[in-house]
Amino acid sequence: MTLFLQTTLNGLVLGGIYSLAAVGFSLVFGVLGIVNLTHGIFVVAGAYGALVLFAELGIDPLVGIVPIGLALFAVGYVYQRTIIQWAVSRASLVASLVVTFGVAMMARNGLQLVFGPDVHTITPSYSFLSIPLGPLRIDVVRIVALGASLVLLTVLALVLARTHFGRAIRATAQQPLAAELCGLNVKNLHGLTFGLGAAMAGAAGAIIGIVQPFTAASEVAWTLNAFIVVVLGGIGSPAGALVGGLLLGLINAYTAQYVGPSLTQAAMFLVLVLMLLVRPSGLLGNAFGESR
Amino acid sequence: MRRRTFLQATTAALAAGAMPKLAFGQDNTITFGGSVPMTGAAAETGQNVLQGYQCAVKYINEEMGGAEIGGQSYQLDLNIFDDASDPARATTLIQRQVDEGISFFLGSFGSNIVLPTCSITEAAGRIMVQAGGGSDLIFTQGRKRVFGIFPRASQQFVSSVNMFTSLDPAVKTVSIIYTNDAFSEFQAKGARQTIEQAGIEVVDYIALPAGVSDVSNVLTTIRESAPDILVCTTHDQTSILIARQMVSTETNVPMLYQTLGPQTAAFRDALGNYANGVVTQAYWSERAPYSGSYFGSAADFAKYFRANFDRDLTYHMASGAACIVAYVEAAKQAGSLDLDAVRDGLDALDFECFYGRVRFTQDGDGDPDLLGPLLIQRQNGEMEVVAPPDGASAKPVYPAPTWQERA
Repeated sequence: MTLFLQTTLNGLVLGGIYSLAAVGFSLVFGVLGIVNLTHGIFVVAGAYGALVLFAELGIDPLVGIVPIGLALFAVGYVYQRTIIQWAVSRASLVASLVVTFGVAMMARNGLQLVFGPDVHTITPSYSFLSIPLGPLRIDVVRIVALGASLVLLTVLALVLARTHFGRAIRATAQQPLAAELCGLNVKNLHGLTFGLGAAMAGAAGAIIGIVQPFTAASEVAWTLNAFIVVVLGGIGSPAGALVGGLLLGLINAYTAQYVGPSLTQAAMFLVLVLMLLVRPSGLLGNAFGESR
Repeated sequence: MRRRTFLQATTAALAAGAMPKLAFGQDNTITFGGSVPMTGAAAETGQNVLQGYQCAVKYINEEMGGAEIGGQSYQLDLNIFDDASDPARATTLIQRQVDEGISFFLGSFGSNIVLPTCSITEAAGRIMVQAGGGSDLIFTQGRKRVFGIFPRASQQFVSSVNMFTSLDPAVKTVSIIYTNDAFSEFQAKGARQTIEQAGIEVVDYIALPAGVSDVSNVLTTIRESAPDILVCTTHDQTSILIARQMVSTETNVPMLYQTLGPQTAAFRDALGNYANGVVTQAYWSERAPYSGSYFGSAADFAKYFRANFDRDLTYHMASGAACIVAYVEAAKQAGSLDLDAVRDGLDALDFECFYGRVRFTQDGDGDPDLLGPLLIQRQNGEMEVVAPPDGASAKPVYPAPTWQERA
């Protein structure tokens, strides 16, 4: 029983990190309809940003989330309003897939040029602490990561549900034309939404940097994880990302413990395929889809 | 120009282009082709191997005035491209260089890349000497022109088990974690076989997927098994992940032994004092008592490398340099740059240099008795050789202190 509880705990903590890393991808997919293959780059850029702030200025990665989020918000906004907007307006939404793929490749090599090919980690003072919970044991950084994930997801959910900005995003996602007729600047809102997604990814990256080693090449895995989370949980909402992330974490943990660690990725993709067959819109559906 | 003359000239030019650059005699330059991971997942070690190649070329060209082969002096040149840690890209690059007529190839890093690329060079009759692929598959499929500085993976654990059996208190149980790839799996299989032959029980034998992001559940199993030694035949990033999570979950074992990872600066930076006590393999040490006509002693190689290159010195640099030294020495002894002569020269090679005594088995991998790994343990921040006893600079710390005691 202890083993099962420990496995469940490990899965939930891992799932929390997956959720946060995926919510930006989910938001952009839901509102703009873009499969952003640059998503993993924002995650890894957040990790590198946290590394620089920690190594050069001694700023804890959890505090560093704020400047990193702001910086990536600006980058995301400009990126969407220029490159992606140009691609979508001149060709189609599918063009954005190719463009984001190309930008991701260039950015990955750019990051490697700047930071080198070596594996990096961020080691704040609490990196190696653990908390015993009766017979269970969990490391502090993962608990911190889970807590930070839940806080950021809650904040995002409140922003989307309670603020004018959130309502504008939802309106744009549901009926872009109607939103525009009501006076909303849809193009600007698309840029802001993309910026918000990039900021969330960067925040996730700062947290991931203290949890596990990373290189520029890690970005591929985070884009892929985000895609699976969105398919599992549903598109466009923090709740969907949370459900999808936790589910992915649990699948990962149970497979590793009871089937074999080498089959975790196989299990993840099996569930992905099953979900696409049985419930393509994810467990919580498309947050904006019903009224489209 | 008459049509017939034109056709003859064109055919001759095409034929010359298609022929292997056997001797590069026209410009007295020997060009080594190949690819290494300068970017991508294996880039850190790939860059280390590359700098080893560059170091040997620089030394032989600048300090020795080139390589004297068959009474003629040659300058060395590298024609190495970035394969981005991607076997598909590497095979394209190598095929192109084969088509361009390159004769002598250096290896990439990682058995998953070396295996398909050495198949291309072998099929084209070219030679590859490499320090990046240890999988048994590279050496057991009948290739005659592929040489590895390291012994094949399944032969790499003899010296380790000799150390295990010499430890006090006696080692009774071992757990093995490996990555599910061509190198790690073979190394783990070899480790398991050698460990069990020594009468030690292997209580866990756990495969991880490539690119694993969490090992909490594996460590839960390790805590329950409580082995005397945990052996990880994993690559750098996974080794760091395992060690960090072991510390943070207080997963203590009397000895943590990771074949790849602890040699790197990244491991030291990520673990700090917790890196003390971790045991690893190294195929070369600057404290080793070897010397020869290239670079001088092992310490001289280290000095020359540090004076000319910027990366932290690991054994991968020495292994990379040893590939080129082996090529040049084989060609010297053959007195020719003819492909068959150089191949035979490599096959018969038996000479000492800064790297150790270089000799290949009949299958092309490094002789395990001469080129097997040294065992290194970080003690008080210094990498000490702890086995084999002949070349040891310190005794192994066993059982290692708990993580809390190492803080």
